Amino acid sequence: MAARGHVQDPNDRRLRPIYDYLDNGNNKMAIQQADKLLKKHKDLHCAKVLKAIGLQRTGKQDEAFALAQEVATLEPTDDNSLQALTILYREMHRPELVTKLYEAAVRKVPSSEEYHSHLFMAYARVGEYKKMQQAGMTLYKIVPKNPYYFWSVMSLVMQAISAQDKKLSQTMFLPLAERMVEKMVKEEKIEAEAEVQLYYMILERLGKYVEALEVVRGQLGEKLTSELQSRENKCMSLYKQLERWPECNALSCKLLLKNPDDWQFYMSYFDSLFHLIDQGWEPPSEGEHCSEGEVRSSVAQAIAFVEERLAVEEAKETRPLRGPFLARLELIRRLRARGCPEEQELGEPLELMFQYFIKFGDKPCCISDLKIYLDLLTTDHHFINRLMETVPLSEPQDDGVALPGDTRALQRHLCVAQLSRALGLHHALDTTGKLDLIRQLKSHYRHGLQFGKSCLKTELQFSDMYCLLASHVYIDLWAETGDETMLWQCLGLLEEGLSHSSSNAQFKLLLILLFCRMGAFEPVVDLYSSLDAKHVQHDTIGFLLTRYAESLGQFAAASQSCNFSLRFFHSNQKDTSEYIIQAYKYGAFEKIPEFIAFRSRLNRSLHFAQVRTERMLLDLFLEADLSSSLEDNVKSMGLCPEEDDIPWTDMRDNRDLTVLTSWDPADRQLSEEQRSFSLQEELLWLKVRFLTLRLVGTLAVLSHPPTPRNAEKAAENGVVAKPDILRPLLDQLNTTLQNGAQFLERGVQYPFLGPSPTRLAHALASGSCHCQVLAFQLAAYVQELDAAALEETTEVQTQISNSFKSLLIQLKEILNKCKGDLLEVKEGQCKTQPTLLENLVFFVETVCVVHWVSCFCAGVLRPLKASLQKRKKKKKEPISMVVFSGFQEFTAGLQSLFSEVLDHIKGQETSLTALKLGELTLEEWTVSHLAAYKQRGGREPLSPMSRDGLFMCLDQQDWE
Amino acid sequence: MLGSKMTTLRAFTCDDLFKFNNINLDPLTETYGIPFYLQYLAHWPEYFIVAEAPGGELMGYIMGKAEGSVAREEWHGHVTALSVAPEFRRLGLAAKLMELLEEISERKGGFFVDLFVRVSNQVAVNMYKQLGYSVYRTVIEYYSASNGEPDEDAYDMRKALSRDTEKKSIIPLPHPVRPEDIE
Repeated sequence: MAARGHVQDPNDRRLRPIYDYLDNGNNKMAIQQADKLLKKHKDLHCAKVLKAIGLQRTGKQDEAFALAQEVATLEPTDDNSLQALTILYREMHRPELVTKLYEAAVRKVPSSEEYHSHLFMAYARVGEYKKMQQAGMTLYKIVPKNPYYFWSVMSLVMQAISAQDKKLSQTMFLPLAERMVEKMVKEEKIEAEAEVQLYYMILERLGKYVEALEVVRGQLGEKLTSELQSRENKCMSLYKQLERWPECNALSCKLLLKNPDDWQFYMSYFDSLFHLIDQGWEPPSEGEHCSEGEVRSSVAQAIAFVEERLAVEEAKETRPLRGPFLARLELIRRLRARGCPEEQELGEPLELMFQYFIKFGDKPCCISDLKIYLDLLTTDHHFINRLMETVPLSEPQDDGVALPGDTRALQRHLCVAQLSRALGLHHALDTTGKLDLIRQLKSHYRHGLQFGKSCLKTELQFSDMYCLLASHVYIDLWAETGDETMLWQCLGLLEEGLSHSSSNAQFKLLLILLFCRMGAFEPVVDLYSSLDAKHVQHDTIGFLLTRYAESLGQFAAASQSCNFSLRFFHSNQKDTSEYIIQAYKYGAFEKIPEFIAFRSRLNRSLHFAQVRTERMLLDLFLEADLSSSLEDNVKSMGLCPEEDDIPWTDMRDNRDLTVLTSWDPADRQLSEEQRSFSLQEELLWLKVRFLTLRLVGTLAVLSHPPTPRNAEKAAENGVVAKPDILRPLLDQLNTTLQNGAQFLERGVQYPFLGPSPTRLAHALASGSCHCQVLAFQLAAYVQELDAAALEETTEVQTQISNSFKSLLIQLKEILNKCKGDLLEVKEGQCKTQPTLLENLVFFVETVCVVHWVSCFCAGVLRPLKASLQKRKKKKKEPISMVVFSGFQEFTAGLQSLFSEVLDHIKGQETSLTALKLGELTLEEWTVSHLAAYKQRGGREPLSPMSRDGLFMCLDQQDWE
Repeated sequence: MLGSKMTTLRAFTCDDLFKFNNINLDPLTETYGIPFYLQYLAHWPEYFIVAEAPGGELMGYIMGKAEGSVAREEWHGHVTALSVAPEFRRLGLAAKLMELLEEISERKGGFFVDLFVRVSNQVAVNMYKQLGYSVYRTVIEYYSASNGEPDEDAYDMRKALSRDTEKKSIIPLPHPVRPEDIE
């Protein structure tokens, strides 16, 4: 932990046991040891801080903080105390206090390089760029080391990056940074690569590309050696900025001659080529074309250049490079787009792609290479037929399927199948055609398993992708016909695939998706955990789990998966700050803005906002009963209903929506438009949930209206008098629901393998949203009643009584939408009805809201009734209070509704148990299936019926 | 077989962490915590290289560092992680990425390049042998298993760079070592 090397200091010896206890996680002993030490040595401040660390780690934050402040106010200057306090403040997430600490320390010891350097880093941790700039210069004056000077320069760059006023960046911060570097250049004091890198960064941000080019190409540029091709890459980027197309052209060609496989330079070559043509560029009559050498600026030269690269590859004994062959297709595409007839000189795309397949068809990447150029083809069938003729296959077997004899032939055949799909040929088949295709793909899949008998558990089978292709065709069939048997077959096939290739992530991902869509969440938990998704993957694929856990009634699993993600997001802030500091230390200046942007990308993550909101809602739902108080729960989660802290306008969608492999044709792939629709939908639903959460929070605040008498006490508890927030929030919720309904009218569809729709559509259809709005509306009326003089409440009383009645009716309507069998089994065919389950969950969530509103009502009505009775005793004029009888009827109605729900759930359990028992009898369907599997001699795959998880059940929810 | 990777090779950036699932969902590829990646990016950015396909997919990446004492002739390049997505295997991409790491280590004046690999990962061990690496020593129980299975040994494999003219750095140790004995 802290410096422990100085054996000469007796305090170090005394403190060591405490450090050891803390390092070993034995916080209690650390505290005891510190106490013991402090009895003898009262002034050993560090012992106090170490004790505070122990307290902090055992959850006694307040005590820890008080103790730390005792030491901090003494402004310590000993290493041990300073370092221990730094650790403590970091653990407390109070990095700003570290700056105070070292500000005091350098005041007392103004010549200490170490403390000044700590002060700089403390500022860096909190992003105090201006103070960093000064701290860096102070350091440089004490010890004239270059890094300190450049820390100060970089702090200016950071001021420029973070400035709201971009003009200020361009006219003040960056020019100042530039002058600071220029001074060092003039004095010939530039030492390190990092310093040149920073100079380049400044010039680039100033738009001084000419100057930047001079630096990179000049003597200073010679220092740019760590990164490969660093100078060339920088020049290329500057040429593009400066639109110096001749240089861009010449440099691209030079680099391609060196490495004819580097794709980015084909792109920059072709870009420059067409710019030069459009500009009518002519080479100078004498001398070099440009500072980078020869320019190839005509279509003829470009064709010749590509042909030359191809000739070199063709002449090779070894396997040729793929780059030139694909570059030819790329050039054809670009020429065709411009309507250049010269395109034909390069050849017929079909023929060229055919040749490409001959050369590279046995590589798994052949499909991803060719799929980019499929739009150049005019006759798809002809292409596929020609490819197929070249694949060496056996004579057709009994089932009419001809099979490959080795893995290379298999890979070629697989590639043709993938290309057929990408060309839309699978989609064009009718039902019989598709079923036959599935039969063939399965046959290839199972036959191909023999090549992978020696594969390790961690390797994939050679024929796995056939299995995935067949699954995709099953899904097509289901989407077309609505025949759910196809999905059941698909589940069976994927389970079979997984039994032979247990680490195939694509099988798992698709199984997860299918189980979720069919309403069975339980198997998903194991499948997802076997993917071993961690850290940043929570942000990119965590949605696979969180989207369905709650909506399918798995509240505990939902809460857990939100927690996994939240833990990741919460550690991010602290983690990234440390590495920003490291980047200063190692002079990785270009990484500093990158790390900051990365941190912001995570903080603004859609998934982060979602799991934060859902986690709080789940906590409340799970605690919704009479024995626990909503107020306490809301307070303990620090929910502040009047605060909207979600960065709505600048949300980052970090979901990896293409994580599931798809070979669908381009027009069926997830489009940019669909992506943005999906984000819009997610945001709408998030807003609904967030507003619901805040409304529930408002109920908690309103339940304790601070009367003048206890206002002070209430303020102490953190419950402060609020302006009316219930109504505005309710209005917002209504607007959002309207926006949601409008969005749904568009009927946006996503590819099956792309994003799932949100719960929005089902929530609206179930009626739960409107029922919840009604409940909150009721709370608003009751609030009104509470505020009004009793004599003037006739109207609001009527509204309240009507709301009671409508609430009961609406709840009943939702419940009716939950009725039916979750799993229907008829004549050996299974049909799932996940919507019933989802509606039941909406019902439960709505009941929770109604429960809180009812408690709120009771809280207002009870004292009202009491005061009315007092009034009666004084024999004043009687006031009719229909709300009381209305409330009684309402609660009685709720009681009977709940017993109906419980009967319904018990009924579901009974019928599912009956199905389980029914499975024990050997039906013809099962027998024939098992027989078929055994015939193939394979292990018995898990039939989807036997997966426990199919039996969906709600977590026990105590809302009686 | 070497060289047909047809690729854009560039520096790995933080944004790539959001796109590397097709590589990292492999059972032998570890997804580390953010601090681990940031540490490498802050300290050895030039050693963290990603390969991108023409379609924009990430194909694979290599992550490494330079460490060791120059005086003791132990200054060397180290391969921390190397992984290629299933779709882009059998193209020689891993070899190309290794070549780049070796070249960077040459420029830094390293004596050798080393890496650790599971003894069970025969595919990788053979590939490294083909690339000129040899087993320098076995590290006992270097890889800790999580699910009750026994911990696994690692090979520490090395390849001498031109600075080590007599190839002293790769002379195999006669006995296996324990993880706590390595630096």
